[in-house]
Amino acid sequence: MTTALDDSPTAPVLDEDLRTARRARGQAILSGGLTAALGVVGTALGLSAIFGEPRHLRIGWLLPLVGVIFDLGPLGGFFVAATGAVSIAVGIYAVGYAQREHWARFPLVMLPLFVAAMLLVPAAGSVTTFLLAWELMAAASLVLVLSEHNREAVRSAGAFYAVMTQLGFAAILLALVVLSAAGGDAFATIAAHTGGISSGTRTAVFLLTLMGFGSKAGLLPLHAWLPRAHPEAPSPVSALMSAAMVNMGIYGFIRIDLQILGPGPHWWGLTLMIFGSVSAVFGVLQASVSTDLKRLLAYSTTENMGLITLALGTATLLSSYGAQQVAAMAMTAALLLILSHAAFKTLGFLAAGSVLAATGLRDLDKLGGLARRMPGTTVMFGIAALGASGLPLGAGFVGEWLLLQSLIHSPHGDNTLLALMMPLSVGAVALTTGLGIAAMVKAFGVGFLARPRSAAAEAAREAPASMLTGMTLAAAACAVFAVAPVLFGPVLKQVLAALPTVGGDAAGPALGGFLRLPGIAGSMAPGLIAVALVIAVLLALGLGRWGARHRPDAVVVPLWACGADSLSSKMQYTATSFAEPLQRVFDNVLQPETDVEVTHFAESQYLVEKVTYKTLLADPVEQRLYAPVVRAVTSWAQWVRRAHPGSVHLYLAYGALGLLIVLVIAR
Amino acid sequence: MSWIGKIRRVGRIVEPADEAPEATAAPPTGVTGSLQLRHVDCGSCNGCELEISGAFSSVYDAERFGARVVASPRHADGLLATGVVTRNMQQPLFNTLNSIPEPRVVIAVGDCAINGGAFAKGYGVVGSVADVIPVDVEVPGCPPTPQQIITALRTVTGR
Repeated sequence: MTTALDDSPTAPVLDEDLRTARRARGQAILSGGLTAALGVVGTALGLSAIFGEPRHLRIGWLLPLVGVIFDLGPLGGFFVAATGAVSIAVGIYAVGYAQREHWARFPLVMLPLFVAAMLLVPAAGSVTTFLLAWELMAAASLVLVLSEHNREAVRSAGAFYAVMTQLGFAAILLALVVLSAAGGDAFATIAAHTGGISSGTRTAVFLLTLMGFGSKAGLLPLHAWLPRAHPEAPSPVSALMSAAMVNMGIYGFIRIDLQILGPGPHWWGLTLMIFGSVSAVFGVLQASVSTDLKRLLAYSTTENMGLITLALGTATLLSSYGAQQVAAMAMTAALLLILSHAAFKTLGFLAAGSVLAATGLRDLDKLGGLARRMPGTTVMFGIAALGASGLPLGAGFVGEWLLLQSLIHSPHGDNTLLALMMPLSVGAVALTTGLGIAAMVKAFGVGFLARPRSAAAEAAREAPASMLTGMTLAAAACAVFAVAPVLFGPVLKQVLAALPTVGGDAAGPALGGFLRLPGIAGSMAPGLIAVALVIAVLLALGLGRWGARHRPDAVVVPLWACGADSLSSKMQYTATSFAEPLQRVFDNVLQPETDVEVTHFAESQYLVEKVTYKTLLADPVEQRLYAPVVRAVTSWAQWVRRAHPGSVHLYLAYGALGLLIVLVIAR
Repeated sequence: MSWIGKIRRVGRIVEPADEAPEATAAPPTGVTGSLQLRHVDCGSCNGCELEISGAFSSVYDAERFGARVVASPRHADGLLATGVVTRNMQQPLFNTLNSIPEPRVVIAVGDCAINGGAFAKGYGVVGSVADVIPVDVEVPGCPPTPQQIITALRTVTGR
C-alpha cells in the first residue's frame, strides 16, 4: 500500500477528481434525463388528449375544501404537447450543458420541477389548481433564473422578474377570483354557466387577464422582465422560458377569455390586436439594434408573442363580426405560430447557449468566426435564424403567411373599423418581418461568420454530442414546420374544433401538400418551394461546373483588403455598425444615447489620436413608464415605513385593531 | 404606358460623341465595349476625380462606350490612377494593381499622374504613376475634361 502511494503520489487526487466528474456526470444525466422523460410523457398525454377523450382527474385530498382538478382537453393538450416537445430537446441538451458549465445541485433539481409545473398549467381544470400550478411555475423559473446569482446582472434581473411575475399573478388571481365568484371553481362549471356572468364581470376579467397573461407573454408595456431575465438565465432555462413558459400567457388568453368567456365583444379583439402589433413592432425593433445575442433572442420572443396575440385578436374581432371562416384562418395562424416559435426559439437559445459555453461571450461585437470552429452549432443557429426571420423555408413562414392572408382577406364590407384595422395590421406584420430579417441576419452574420473578433471567440470549440443532439431535435422540428406543416393539420383541426367562439365551427385552412384557404383564391405549397429550391441549386451547381470545364486552374492570391496589406477582424461589420442605419431611422422610438469623443494629438488638431464611440440603448418604455412608477412606490413605501417603528406593543395594537375591524364588518 | 413611348421618342440626351478614336491599347478582355475600371486616388487634389465623375455622369455618359467604374479590383479589367503617387499610397497602389486579374490595362489620368504636375518633387511624393507601375494609356490635362477622359477610354474599349 505504501509502495503504491510512493509510486503515484497524485493518484488519490486524480481519483477524487475523477469521482467528482463522474458524480457530476451522473447528476447531469439524471436531471436532463428526467426533464426529457417528463417531456415525452407530456407530449404523449397532450397528443392523446387532442385526439382521444378529454382526460379528467380529481385529487380531493391534495387541497382542502376544493381539491385539485385536472381537465385535459384538446386545447390544454396542445399546450402540454408543445411544452413537452420543447422539454425533450432541452433535457437532452442540458445533460451536456450542465457538465460543461458545472451546474450546482440546485438548478439540476429545479429543471425537471420547472417542466413539471409548466405541464400542469394547461392541464389544470379548476381556478384553484390553475393558480397553484401557475405560481409553482413562476417560482421554479425564478429560482432557475437566479442560478448564477453571484453576478450582479442576474440578481437585478431576478428582482425585476420576481416583482413583475408576482404583479402578473396578482392580476390573474383577482381575475379568476372574480370569475369563480360568478361561475364556480372548476373551469367546466364556469363554462357551463357563462350566461349568468354579467358584462361588467366579463370586462373586469378580460382587463385583468390582459394584464396578467400579457406580462407572462411579454407583451408591451409589461415586457421589461423578459429581455432581462431570459438572457441572464442559463441557456436551457432561457429556452424553456422563451419557448414554453411565455406560451402559457397565450394559453391563458385563449382558455379564459376566448374559450370560456367568448365570444367577446368587438373591443376585445381590437385591444388584443393593438397590443399584439405594438409588441411585435417594438420587440423586433429592439432586437434589431441589440448587440447581445441572448437579449436579441429575448426581444424576438416579445415580437413573436405580439404576432400571436395579433392573430388571436384578428380571430376574435372577425368572429365577433361573423366572419367565421377567416377567423378560423387567423386562429390556425396563431396556433401554428405558437408551435413554430417554440421550435425555432428553443433551437436559437440552445445554440446561443453552446456559443456562451464555448466562448463565455454573448456580445455579438466580440464574436465571429464560429462557422469554422463550431460548424454544428452554426448550422443550428442558422436554421433558427431562418425560422425567426419568417422567410420561406423557415419555420415561421407558414404561420406568418396564414396571418397575412387572414388580414388581407378579412371581409370588411362597409365596416370602418375592420377596413382601418386590417391594413394597419398588415403594415405592422410587414414591418415586423422586415426588421426581423435584419435582426437575424445580424445575429447570424456578425456572430458566426467572418473572422473572430476576440481571443475567446478564436479559441471556441464545438459543443459536446448531447448538446448537439438536443439541438438537432429542435432543428428537425423547424424543418418539419418549414416544409411539411401538413403533418400538423390533424392536430390543429382538433384544437380549432374545441374553440367554437373563434371560428372553430367553420372549415379552417386545409394544411395539405398544398395549403388551401377555403373560400379564398390562395394556396401555397411549402414542400414544393423547398423542392424547387433544391432543384435550382443543383441546376446552378451543375451549370457552373459545366461552364467551368475549360477554365484554367484556380490561382491562390491574397485577399483584397481595400489596399491595405492584410485583413484584420477590425475591418469587419460589427453588430453595432450593422444596426446603425436602423438606429438612425428609428431614432425617435429607440432614443439611443450616443457619444463620440475625438482625441487629437497635442502637436496638431488635424491629426487624430483616437476616437471613442459610446452608445447606450436603454428600453424607452422602461425608462418612461417604469421609472416614475418605481419612484412613486418607493416614496409611498417610505411613508408607510413610519408606521413600523419597531415597537412590539404598537404591532400588537395593530393586530387587535385589525381583528376588531374584521369582527365589525363580519358581525 | 405613354412614358415608354416618351422614352423611345426622346432617346438619350447626352453630349454628342465624336468619331471613335484610334485604338491605343487592345481591350484587356479581348471583347470590345466592356472595360471595368477600379479607380485609385494616389494623391490627387480631387480635380481629376470631379472630372471623372463628370465623365460617368448622365451628361457625358461614358458607360455608353462600355467603360464602367467598379467597386472591387477583383471585378476590374483595369486601373484608373489619378494624382502623384504619395508615400502613403504607394503600397496600396501596388496592392490594388496586383489584385486586378491579368491581362489588365493601367490608365493614368491628369498631368500629376503622368509627370508629377504641380506637385512634382514635393514633400512626401514618390513620383508619377509611371515611375511606380507600367502605364498603358495617358490622359493629359490639369484636369482633363470629361470629353478627353472619354476619348482616352474609347481608345481602349474600341467603341
